[in-house]
Amino acid sequence: MVVLSVLRAQLGMPPRRYLDLLRVLTERYVKVRYRGSFLGVYWSLLNPCIMTAIYTLILGHTFARYYNNSIVDYLESCFVGLVVINFFSTSTGHALPSVVSNSGLLNKIKLPPSLFPMSLMSASTFQLAVGVFPVLAIITLVTSKSLLNVLLLVVPVFALVLVSCGTALIVSMLYVFFRDIPYMYELLTFAFWVATPVFYPISIVDERYRFYLQLNPLTPIIQCIRELTLSARLPNLEIMAQGLLMGIFVALFGWFAFRNRSALFMDYL
Amino acid sequence: MLRKELDPLVIPTNGSPAPKREALVRPSICLRGVTLLRRTQEELTYDLKRNLFALVEGRYRRPASKPVLRNINLEVPPGEKVGVIGANGAGKSTLLKMICGILRPSKGTVEVRGSIAPLIELGAGFDPELSVFDNVILYGILLGSSKASMLERAPGILAFAELESYASMPVKTLSSGMTARLGFAIASDVDPDVLILDEVLSIGDEHFRNKCRRRLEHFWHKDATIITVSHDLAFIRESCTRVVCMEEGRLAFEGPTAAAIRFYLDTVSEADSLHRGE
Repeated sequence: MVVLSVLRAQLGMPPRRYLDLLRVLTERYVKVRYRGSFLGVYWSLLNPCIMTAIYTLILGHTFARYYNNSIVDYLESCFVGLVVINFFSTSTGHALPSVVSNSGLLNKIKLPPSLFPMSLMSASTFQLAVGVFPVLAIITLVTSKSLLNVLLLVVPVFALVLVSCGTALIVSMLYVFFRDIPYMYELLTFAFWVATPVFYPISIVDERYRFYLQLNPLTPIIQCIRELTLSARLPNLEIMAQGLLMGIFVALFGWFAFRNRSALFMDYL
Repeated sequence: MLRKELDPLVIPTNGSPAPKREALVRPSICLRGVTLLRRTQEELTYDLKRNLFALVEGRYRRPASKPVLRNINLEVPPGEKVGVIGANGAGKSTLLKMICGILRPSKGTVEVRGSIAPLIELGAGFDPELSVFDNVILYGILLGSSKASMLERAPGILAFAELESYASMPVKTLSSGMTARLGFAIASDVDPDVLILDEVLSIGDEHFRNKCRRRLEHFWHKDATIITVSHDLAFIRESCTRVVCMEEGRLAFEGPTAAAIRFYLDTVSEADSLHRGE
């Protein structure tokens, strides 16, 4: 009961109604993105595949010694990293203009503004669940031969969704006030791309700075998924918990930052 | 306790069916001391870069807020048809947005009893890529219905808009007149306790206009409370039992239709003669 009333106060409406709205908008975004062709979901795999090929061609030979002298291991771990960073940057990039681009609706119908970034995030999550996730699960099954690892894969992926949701809420809120945010956000996602051990092993970074990379919420997520997909042993639970906690923190921070500013939105839309 | 603070401006209307019961019936819409301050858009800098530079150079100041609605007290008994008139920018549409809950008052309270539906122009808001049917479901749910009831009502809505044969086509293939018809059909397929009308919509060809008119008249005969904004004084005179006249965010006059319209026309001609005097 208490949980329900807290939820109701946070959402500004009965949770049931919020979910109804979320579902219908998610369906809309999914339908528009794929225009009826289910194969469209798999198109989203093309980007990380091509990028993996490029990185492997150029850096694979040099970095292989950090990956048990195996180019295949480098390729797999590069793919995992790219899938994660790719989801993060495209899903938040889609959500960034969502509050502003629906200002017409917000001015006509009483709707919670958080609905738009949240429904875009859930459309992206749907895409992740049917496109990339099965691929990761297959890789895990083949390399680690452990069903437990496949099941545990849900945890870091959930953490990734949380981090992205929090970030999506923050950037879509900032965009209401500052319309030049996209340029800066582009720079920021590039910084993330490089400051996350996506295409290089974390061990080549000077130990003094490795701590800062560990503060990046995507780092433990990528490390955790790599451990699960690439090795048969049970993953480092500490890293898994770290990723999950960071995810929860970013999501809550994003939600409250958004709520805190949303009373001012209508003056700017 | 709150009852005592009611504004004396609220007077029963002559000729309305409600006045005798008014003491017993709780108002359908009740605004108490509603003031709205807004940051006006022309003063805002939508730019992080410029805001930062201003901050560094010490020129930064908080965007000022201006009152858009000032201390509005309004009580509408159930079933009353209220017209809102006034010059452009007097705050009429803002008042309606306030009643709909789109804007929240900076001071004061807004209470609406029962379900509320805005009859708004949806035409521009459709998703052009989605099919006509999907748009009907989407907007029905955004306007407050459940998915189950929308699936039930969709055929009726399409029939009213005379677009049954377009159900699976994307909205971008419709003509602008058809889109407007669809918008009206969705927005007007409601049965609310309170209906909000911002300018009566007249769309489509003569045939469809008559249909719109009939549907609107249907609302008038039911006991829904209606609040409508219009510049069409003949329409207001004909269809409202009480009229509110707004001026620069205030309720300048509130009372029987004829008196309110006279008041409004007087202020307009006063302003006109002032202009001519210059």
